[in-house]
Amino acid sequence: MSKIACFVEKYNFTDPREEGALQKFKLTAEKQGSEFHFLFREDISDVAKYDAVFIRATTDPLNTAYVVSKTAWELGLKVIDDPESITICGNKIHQYALFEKYTVPSIPTMFLNKDELHHKKISDIFDALGKPVVIKAPYTSFSRYVEKAACETNFRDVAKRFFKKSDVLAIQKFTPTAFDWRVGVLNNDILYVCKYMIPKGKWKHGAKLRGKPTVIWGRTVSMKRQKMPVRLREVALKACSVVGKGLYGVDIKEVDGKYVVVEVNDNPSIYAGYEDSMDHDIYQRIISYLSD
Amino acid sequence: MTVLVVSNIDLTTNLQVMKPATFLESTIKEATLNINNEYRYLKTGYYVSMHAEILGNRVIPSCENIIDSSRTPILLLRTAKAGVPTLPVVVTDSVKKIISELGFPVMLFAVNPFIYDGYKVAHNKSALYRAMKSLSMNYKFAVCAQPLRGEIFAVKTYFGKVLGQDLNTRKIAEKVYKTFRIPLCKLYIQKTVDKAYLCGLQPVNKEELSEQDLQIISKEVLLISEQGEAFGV
Repeated sequence: MSKIACFVEKYNFTDPREEGALQKFKLTAEKQGSEFHFLFREDISDVAKYDAVFIRATTDPLNTAYVVSKTAWELGLKVIDDPESITICGNKIHQYALFEKYTVPSIPTMFLNKDELHHKKISDIFDALGKPVVIKAPYTSFSRYVEKAACETNFRDVAKRFFKKSDVLAIQKFTPTAFDWRVGVLNNDILYVCKYMIPKGKWKHGAKLRGKPTVIWGRTVSMKRQKMPVRLREVALKACSVVGKGLYGVDIKEVDGKYVVVEVNDNPSIYAGYEDSMDHDIYQRIISYLSD
Repeated sequence: MTVLVVSNIDLTTNLQVMKPATFLESTIKEATLNINNEYRYLKTGYYVSMHAEILGNRVIPSCENIIDSSRTPILLLRTAKAGVPTLPVVVTDSVKKIISELGFPVMLFAVNPFIYDGYKVAHNKSALYRAMKSLSMNYKFAVCAQPLRGEIFAVKTYFGKVLGQDLNTRKIAEKVYKTFRIPLCKLYIQKTVDKAYLCGLQPVNKEELSEQDLQIISKEVLLISEQGEAFGV
């Protein structure tokens, strides 16, 4: 019998669909004969009392979640997300450099260092990638810190803001599509497949309405994993293979019949009735992986 | 073995030294010694090590060690495993938990993406609430608490060496370097009458580097680039 700690923050329970998924994880674990406890920030020091840790709070090498993950790892526990996955997925510069090294099909990307923010470099970027370009801070998640720029002034504004926290940024070719594939992968195996639809008239999955602070999200349309295109499956698994063997959500665009990876995310969203709606066994598979 | 030295500090040797920006644009495949006054995540010092790792180079320090050494609970967990004396640690955002497990006085370090230097000490409940509120950024993050048992010293260390310190401190600096290989850093150490405990590790400001410090760093860099042993084969 295995004791699983699920590291969460209060915000993991604000959306009933996410809370629903968390309760399903708990039920599934208990049905399989494991203990499943929610571990909050105040009790992090208790990690050592468990056999496995499942992190659902937002991960980043600078967040509390990393401390939980690395502590568990050092103590020899099974852990999702493992510290290396957090390090590679938490920094898109790191990830894109790996994609380049291992030729993972991905969106054309250039890196920009802080002291290169000058006219010549910016025109080179526009020449190479076209206009507009997408500027990404390395720590992007939930479509935040990803912005478009179509002219030098705009480019400088966005870059200056992102440079406050990171000395290197990623610049990508603007690649609008009606949806992004989201492929869930666990331990080199496909877990679920869905399409994250891009809201009409927008270009990313989570978009702000003009002048309003609230973010609107596109629909999630899921399909059975057996029905996924073979090439999509290959590309998703290849992208994950350069990151690690954990749990990932791979974003992939279909451009002119080809699949290109946008990014591999650790800590992927799992909402009851969304990612799980076609393949119901995702809870069992994740719990089995943790308690194995 | 040739060693490529990448440094944002002006060293006093005749060695060829490359600027970080130049290295980031290059594809040089050599063992890389990354000298920077601050190895902060997402800052140039980090990206130099990342770039070297992607190129497949052996590099001092590694990305993993840069991140881990700056997360106080992980620093203490890993150095304790290596035999460095440390104090009990509580990672939490609960004042009650700190009081019940450690009592007073306590020493607190931030564990969040924004605060990377300094620490706070609390001798009573109201001071602890104030310190917690500020270091947890209004309870948005956890903090790392340790009991305060002695006097706190900030010790600059270069390649595990320290100047003019007692044996206990020298041993701590040496073991921390063996574990994390952070060439330049500042250690926070608590000293009692007969013991010394590691409490934290933070970057050194460029202004804190004296002429003498630069000479020691340069000498060590020269040694490593001649021998290459530090990279371990």
